[in-house]
Amino acid sequence: MRSFQKNWSGYVLAVAGVATVTATLKLLDAHINAATVALAFLLVVLFVATWRGARPAVVASVLGLLCFNFFFLPPFGTLTVEAADNWIALLVFLITAITVGQLSANAKRRTQEAEAGRREIERLYQELRDAFERASHAEALRQSEKLKSALLDAVTHDIRTPLTSIKASVSTLLQRPATTAMGDTVTIDAEARLDMLQVIDEECDRLDRFVEGLIELARIEAGEMHLRRRWGTIDEILTTAIARAEPMTRHHQVQIQLPSELPAVQVDPRAVSEVIFTLIDNAAKYSPIGSAIVVMATQADTDFLEVAVESAGDGIPVALRERVFDKFFRATRDGDSSNVRPPRGSGMGLAVAKGIVEAHGGQIWIEDGRDGRATRVAFTLPVGGPTVEPHTLESPEAVTL
Amino acid sequence: MNGQARILVVDDEPQIARVLRTGLKTHGYDVRVAADGLSALETFADWQPDLVVTDLSMPNLDGLQLCKRLRAISQIPIIVLSVRGEERMKVEALDAGADDYVSKPFGMDELLARLRAQLRRVSATPKPRASSPILEVGDFHINFESRSVLVKGLEVHLTPKEYDLLIHFVQNAGKVLTHHTLLAAVWGGNYTEQGEYLRVFVGQLRKKIEPTPSTPRYLLTEPWVGYRFNPDS
Repeated sequence: MRSFQKNWSGYVLAVAGVATVTATLKLLDAHINAATVALAFLLVVLFVATWRGARPAVVASVLGLLCFNFFFLPPFGTLTVEAADNWIALLVFLITAITVGQLSANAKRRTQEAEAGRREIERLYQELRDAFERASHAEALRQSEKLKSALLDAVTHDIRTPLTSIKASVSTLLQRPATTAMGDTVTIDAEARLDMLQVIDEECDRLDRFVEGLIELARIEAGEMHLRRRWGTIDEILTTAIARAEPMTRHHQVQIQLPSELPAVQVDPRAVSEVIFTLIDNAAKYSPIGSAIVVMATQADTDFLEVAVESAGDGIPVALRERVFDKFFRATRDGDSSNVRPPRGSGMGLAVAKGIVEAHGGQIWIEDGRDGRATRVAFTLPVGGPTVEPHTLESPEAVTL
Repeated sequence: MNGQARILVVDDEPQIARVLRTGLKTHGYDVRVAADGLSALETFADWQPDLVVTDLSMPNLDGLQLCKRLRAISQIPIIVLSVRGEERMKVEALDAGADDYVSKPFGMDELLARLRAQLRRVSATPKPRASSPILEVGDFHINFESRSVLVKGLEVHLTPKEYDLLIHFVQNAGKVLTHHTLLAAVWGGNYTEQGEYLRVFVGQLRKKIEPTPSTPRYLLTEPWVGYRFNPDS
């Protein structure tokens, strides 16, 4: 129906166009010649072809031919032609008009098709992009669900475990005088009492550390970590961290490797020391008793210092090396959990470490260690200021603490 | 039990193991501690404990595997410690042969009560059918030949399935029985997903044996897990 209307309007346009041009040319009769007339009608054919397609253009061509003959070729007012050259002019006009009509209609159609094709591609692209967006939204949701359940797991394990020790101790200490399975009166001796009180004390500290870690992580995530940067040397920071980790590393050999000259850094020493402490603590947790933990710092390039902690053990599979920096992720629990030691940490240490390193403009990553050590956790810190005086350590000497 | 009962505590959390050792020793038990399933099996072989208390998530050999391995070689009572929220694992452990569970965090009183119940159950295990046609447990007197059941001296009339279900409960008095275990034992392996059968029959059994079926004393519900039969009201 629409197509019919469109065609019909094309024919009307053809008729009207030819009539208008004929009338106009007739008004200017004195000033025109046959070539002008032919070109004017061709123009009508061109417009009709462009706007309304090939068939109305043919109609316009034929009507143009008739009007050309009738009004403008002698003898005027008849459809007969006297001069032979006028026959040729009419024939040329007809061929030209029809060819122009078909060509321009084709060109128009192609343009329209190309336009439709482009719109279709745009539409498909948009659809694809929407689909991708929906998919990534779903993926993000899924990730956030996973994170929530990881949080729940962490809370379940890391809060309930110390609570279990505390509750069991307290409920033992609170027991009313009772009899044992053997009928003896239950008396908690001083040693047992002290033992249980110590457990309560230690487990309260453990809960407190867990809460502290949560707060730290929340701060980093909210972008509220304010670095208190000051000038210092990396060996001071290393020494502080190693001293703090001493209770955890009693069963390991801790070695420091430092070159004689390292540039000073402008960092938050407490925060960076926390990162190194976390790495040493992890190294001690996951490497065999008696093995070496090597803490080293080098100048990676002109802009960065590289600090690394290497340890022995099973190592971390390549596939998990990025995920261990996710909060609450524990390779030993969430990765392959067969045949490995249980996690003792909160799963927050490396996430906090990553936050601190990135806040300083550095990067942190895990790679294979050197000299047969399985794991190397390294991070960079931007260098600021001139090289400081060579420090007292002979280099590159390994110092065993 | 001759002298001190021997309890093997298996938990990879050193602090929990420490508290259990001290607490149980205070109550007159002889205690040894293992940090994982494999060393628990070694200690079990060397020391022959009377009861095992084990955590579920452990390295090397987890609590579930430990239950299976122990069940394959022994009828020793096993109590599993599970964190609330690990319901599925708890049920798996009970299906794998554990006798009871305690949810962390727990009070020492609760653990001690469960320990005593399991040790009692072992020392008073109902005799197998073959040796005697009469079974007496707590308030229950059952004659296998006449298939008659007396509760506190009063006879109750049970349908064959109710009878089978009751016998299974009585023979496992004090032990937590999962829905799965009960369905497999009474209806057979094809019916282990038909929880509604069990609810209906437990309901009918309660009407017949409980003084007040709405507050059962013998057939106790263990939420989300199964049932426990307590032979003494």
